Amino acid sequence: MLVWQNPELALHDCKMSRLALVRICLMKFFALAALSLFLATFVQAAPQDDQYVLGPDSQINKDVPQGKVTQMPAWTNSKIYPGTARDWWIYVPAQYKPEQPANVMVFCDGGGFVKTDGQFRVPVVFDNLIAKGEMPVTIAIFINPGVFPTSNPKEKPRSNRSFEYDSLGDLHARFLIEEILPEVAKSYKLTDDPEGRGICGNSSGGICAFTVAWERPDAFRKVISHIGSFTNIRGGHVYPALIRKTDKKPLKVFLQDGKNDLDNQFGNWPLANQDMAASLKFAGYDYQLVLGEGTHNGKHGGAMLPDTLRWLWKK
Amino acid sequence: MKHLLLSLSLLSIPLLAQDTSLHDYLIDGEPWKEAASGYAFTDGLCCDAAGNLFFTDVKAGKGIYKIDVTTGKTDLFLDNLPGISGLQIGPDGRFYACHNKEQRIIAITMKGEVEVLLTGVKCNDLVVSKKGNLYFTETPTLSVHLITKDKKHVVADAGHVQKPNGITLSPDERTLAVSEHGGKHVWAWRIEDDGTLTGGAPYMTMWLPVGKETASGDGATTEANGRYFVTTELGVQVFDTAGRLAGIIAKPDPLGKVVSVEFAGKDYDILYIAAGDKIYGRKLKVKGYFGKE
Repeated sequence: MLVWQNPELALHDCKMSRLALVRICLMKFFALAALSLFLATFVQAAPQDDQYVLGPDSQINKDVPQGKVTQMPAWTNSKIYPGTARDWWIYVPAQYKPEQPANVMVFCDGGGFVKTDGQFRVPVVFDNLIAKGEMPVTIAIFINPGVFPTSNPKEKPRSNRSFEYDSLGDLHARFLIEEILPEVAKSYKLTDDPEGRGICGNSSGGICAFTVAWERPDAFRKVISHIGSFTNIRGGHVYPALIRKTDKKPLKVFLQDGKNDLDNQFGNWPLANQDMAASLKFAGYDYQLVLGEGTHNGKHGGAMLPDTLRWLWKK
Repeated sequence: MKHLLLSLSLLSIPLLAQDTSLHDYLIDGEPWKEAASGYAFTDGLCCDAAGNLFFTDVKAGKGIYKIDVTTGKTDLFLDNLPGISGLQIGPDGRFYACHNKEQRIIAITMKGEVEVLLTGVKCNDLVVSKKGNLYFTETPTLSVHLITKDKKHVVADAGHVQKPNGITLSPDERTLAVSEHGGKHVWAWRIEDDGTLTGGAPYMTMWLPVGKETASGDGATTEANGRYFVTTELGVQVFDTAGRLAGIIAKPDPLGKVVSVEFAGKDYDILYIAAGDKIYGRKLKVKGYFGKE
């Protein structure tokens, strides 16, 4: 059994427990929104996940300034992904001042991360950490993958998620840099310093986060990948080899996975994440791998998100 | 620097079989079996509601051949129609065909009465929606064409797909998929209410033979749950509804070609391929989308 022995990253005590992982949300505390596309057909209950519970930094604290989440009008005029529509949200911390450029974090599958009663509760965690000075004033952009809606709202639109997230190359980086960040910058002052810009995702969103920073370290340098799909869905299994043979990029990379994560036709997730970590170590990157015992869901990543963010933003 | 512990001895715990794995489609002890032989270049596989398989012999054949669903015997079904490269039965019960040799799109009744729908096109393969919209590929001009149910001709896409070849539909008939013979992608578009195409992108990526830059994507069909089956140089490549390559079904002859693919049989669960001079069939655990009424 693998134990992660790092006091700074140890889990906090928590009053929430006994969360059962099921494919349908049986408990109001727990939603799989961010992962539902990927998991819809095969998530099963896994007792290994129950040990991962949310700590105090993931609970709403009325005594700290509360940031504001705004749902933006659906993004339907993408030139990078023509024909797609997607929902997105912006979180602006209470401490944001227009004269002071804010840091930025993008969340892939943002609809899951933005929920304040979900697995990650990013607005709550940001409120708590920013108030304590444990992370900088950071605007969060939560963005969903595109879908191809049809004229009939009863039809299930085709998802563009795998194409956008699992593909290698600079397409998604360009989508964020050329389309989304300029739109946010119309209303808020965002830092131009790539050290102040991060991206986070789960599963295919995890490899997407890495790909965006890998392709455009001039724009994003901080990466969080939970249960990242560094497997051969669309060629992402080559990253460990690429990292070893590529001039080191100025990235800070956090990887989380569970040793009971997926093993399927695309690859073996825990092995792939260890392979990534070994390559990042070899090439001298600033990185962390937390390998727990969980399956393919966000419970472990969500539980440790406050610690992850403290590590990520520590100078 | 933090101390890192990496597990060197991961337990291997089998998870639920993934519904997208190739291994879940194939049946042990059900390899490719020869279904017809003695032709020059078989192509144009299609299926009727009963599960009969129809095919052509583009280079040397006389017309449309049929493998009977009950007897398994092959006969010439319609004579005097040489040079058809793409074939499907439309919602009106007629064949629709890329009559490559005559550079035209035609409809053919089961008795052989021909209606010419369009001429002057180097058509390769086609698909007809339940609404009656017909899409066909014109490989040399890099074009995908639409003939609407009221027989209006539209160039639906031009210049994007590298040698468009195989063509198929999603089961909700909202997505059109076209394979590249001169590239490595299978493109997908949204089908609008009027049949036109929007949002085209290289949605699926085919596996390439070692040392080659093109997958030689050819005929394509759709499984009832929406997975795409595309013939390539390496075999029949299978993509799930998210566009992810699930696996490659090997060719019966490693040195041979496969250029057309369709499900037929009374339960639509025999995957047939056109492989040069022969047709092969293989029973799968999944069923085809086309043929059913």
